[in-house]
Amino acid sequence: MFDGLILLGQGIVHFLTPTGLFNVAWATLLGLAIGILPGLTATMGVALLVTLTYKMPPDQAILTLMCVYLGAIYGGSRTAILLNIPGPPANAAATLDGHPLARQGKAGLAMGLATTSSTLGTLVGIFFLAIIAPVLSEAALRFGSYEFFWLALFGVVISGQMTGSDTPLKGYIAGILGLLVAMIGMETLHAHQRFTFGIPALGGGIDLIPAMVGAFGLAEILSSMKRTAVAHIAPVNDRVIPTFSEIFRYWKTIIRSGIIGTFVGIIPGVGEDVGSWSSYAAAKRASKHPEEFGKGSQEGLIAAETGDNAVVSAAMIPTLTLALPGSAAAAVLIAAMLIHGIRPGPMLMVENPAFLYQVVAMLLLATFANLVFGLSLTRLFIKVLSVPRERLMAVIYVLCVVGSFAITQRMFDVYVMLVFGVVGFILREMKYPMAPLVLGIVLGDLLDLNLRRGLQLTNGDPTPFFTRPISAVICLIIVVVVLMSIPAVSKRVRSLLTRSGGAQARS
Amino acid sequence: MQRPAGKRTYDMTTPAPSEAAVRARADLLTALVLVALGLAVLYLSWTMDRLEVRRIHPSTIPGLVPLVLGAALSLCGALLAWRSWRLATPGSGAALLRVLLSWTALRVAVVLALALVFTLGLVGRMPFWLAAGLFIFAFILLFETVLADEPRPFLVSLFWALAIAVAGGGGIYYVFGRIFLVRLP
Repeated sequence: MFDGLILLGQGIVHFLTPTGLFNVAWATLLGLAIGILPGLTATMGVALLVTLTYKMPPDQAILTLMCVYLGAIYGGSRTAILLNIPGPPANAAATLDGHPLARQGKAGLAMGLATTSSTLGTLVGIFFLAIIAPVLSEAALRFGSYEFFWLALFGVVISGQMTGSDTPLKGYIAGILGLLVAMIGMETLHAHQRFTFGIPALGGGIDLIPAMVGAFGLAEILSSMKRTAVAHIAPVNDRVIPTFSEIFRYWKTIIRSGIIGTFVGIIPGVGEDVGSWSSYAAAKRASKHPEEFGKGSQEGLIAAETGDNAVVSAAMIPTLTLALPGSAAAAVLIAAMLIHGIRPGPMLMVENPAFLYQVVAMLLLATFANLVFGLSLTRLFIKVLSVPRERLMAVIYVLCVVGSFAITQRMFDVYVMLVFGVVGFILREMKYPMAPLVLGIVLGDLLDLNLRRGLQLTNGDPTPFFTRPISAVICLIIVVVVLMSIPAVSKRVRSLLTRSGGAQARS
Repeated sequence: MQRPAGKRTYDMTTPAPSEAAVRARADLLTALVLVALGLAVLYLSWTMDRLEVRRIHPSTIPGLVPLVLGAALSLCGALLAWRSWRLATPGSGAALLRVLLSWTALRVAVVLALALVFTLGLVGRMPFWLAAGLFIFAFILLFETVLADEPRPFLVSLFWALAIAVAGGGGIYYVFGRIFLVRLP
């Protein structure tokens, strides 16, 4: 218990150097700008910045990326409030009440509430990260090939189920496509080259960073340039810093949304947008004034912003302890950590226990920077908001080319970026979610290796996959999730569950 | 938002099929592509080397997981095709074609064409800062004048395009190449 506190203290002190603080400041400002600019997302920002942090020391590099990630998720609330379009999709729920508040002349109040509730959400997430991660990490040490196979499958399936917008089928398809991408190149068990079609560059497989830069960079540029409508920025005339009573009147909502966000963050590949929508929905159900939701409810805005920011910290729990990315941006963070020689997973707490607490310290510093900048630099951010996208997107594309080229310095990765950009854009337009695709690419190798290694250990007997207790539980959850996504089954189960309630209501 | 399967989602009196119906038709096309892809993967994994020479256990063949994934993709694709077949309505094929030939589609095509020319044609044939500058200049000028809904005065756009091209191309070259010591294409 106290070891943890001491390590956390050391983690914070570790970054309180001029270099550390300088990195926090510029990375947070950059993250905020990325979040504010419509069409740029947190994942894209983190993926593009991996290149820039390539030559930095590992801890400073991850600190920079984390500040950009958190800054972008928070910065998007500005766009949501003032323009009525979300910066990153994570802030979509914040538009519902944030923009009506701005139209009532309370833009400053809305921004202040969003800022403080973002901070509180992150703090709730950090609290759970510091408590759950060490415990989970210790439990994960007992996981074998069987459990890791199921965990990888669980990640892809649950992410597909929860992010598939009009049908879970599309989520599953995206997940399978991602897994198939991971199959390209040399497999790890027998060193056999799969699906390389005689192209030497494919032998090493598809790197995550160029793929992500394509799917989140180029694809975003294409969809952002597609839109023709120009939005109108709401004016800000009132005070930005909220009073204590304005915030703590809703302490129940804050805690509830923080816990929901944490829970969503722990589930692999289910990102900030789901966290924000589910805590918004929960707040609406529990509220005394649900009729105000969507018309400028302060409670709704607080719920949405607390929820999505709690996801960011909580997403680090599976990312660090199991190497299962908690969100799409966390997948890029895993790739960045690997580049810098940090290996997330159950061994992290054994090999490098200080790192977990350094991550907690990074999140604390980034949150603090967000709070300070968010409440003080309002005018500057409105200027950023009015940058025309025609002028911005061209520069972003050049950065995409640089970002995908720089890590391994081959043009092949730039072509990978182009292909993923075009395919990613088409899939996005057809409402296929991107998170399961990313998760598939990250987890494909883990899934493949552990399945076949498990089979090798038992000489082809699959029973341990179903009889070991943890394996059995995860397997059961996967089966239930898949069954519930079949409309006929879920309808029947729901009618069974609600029959008694419905009968009471009618009588 | 989950739409109940099989339910017609638009009013019969409206002249154009709804976005959902158009998407259902587009889904049908992609679903067929996905089924084909799944079957191709299935075939390639089935015929993949089973490394019998190395006497590995037959349950650990390299093609095992791709085989299952290929089958799963074909199955999901087929289910999606079936679902979209039921959701699509008469006329949604034509509406899909209209979407593909619209103004927004043209904008996307232009962005893509510029990106392809820059990446495949310019990069590597000239210094990176020049290639980047040319791309940024052409991009801004096109989208602020010819392809804009409300075009700005030509000279203003020309000025901004030039300024951002020089600042962007030079800036990226300087920041990445000189400060962060990253190799540029």
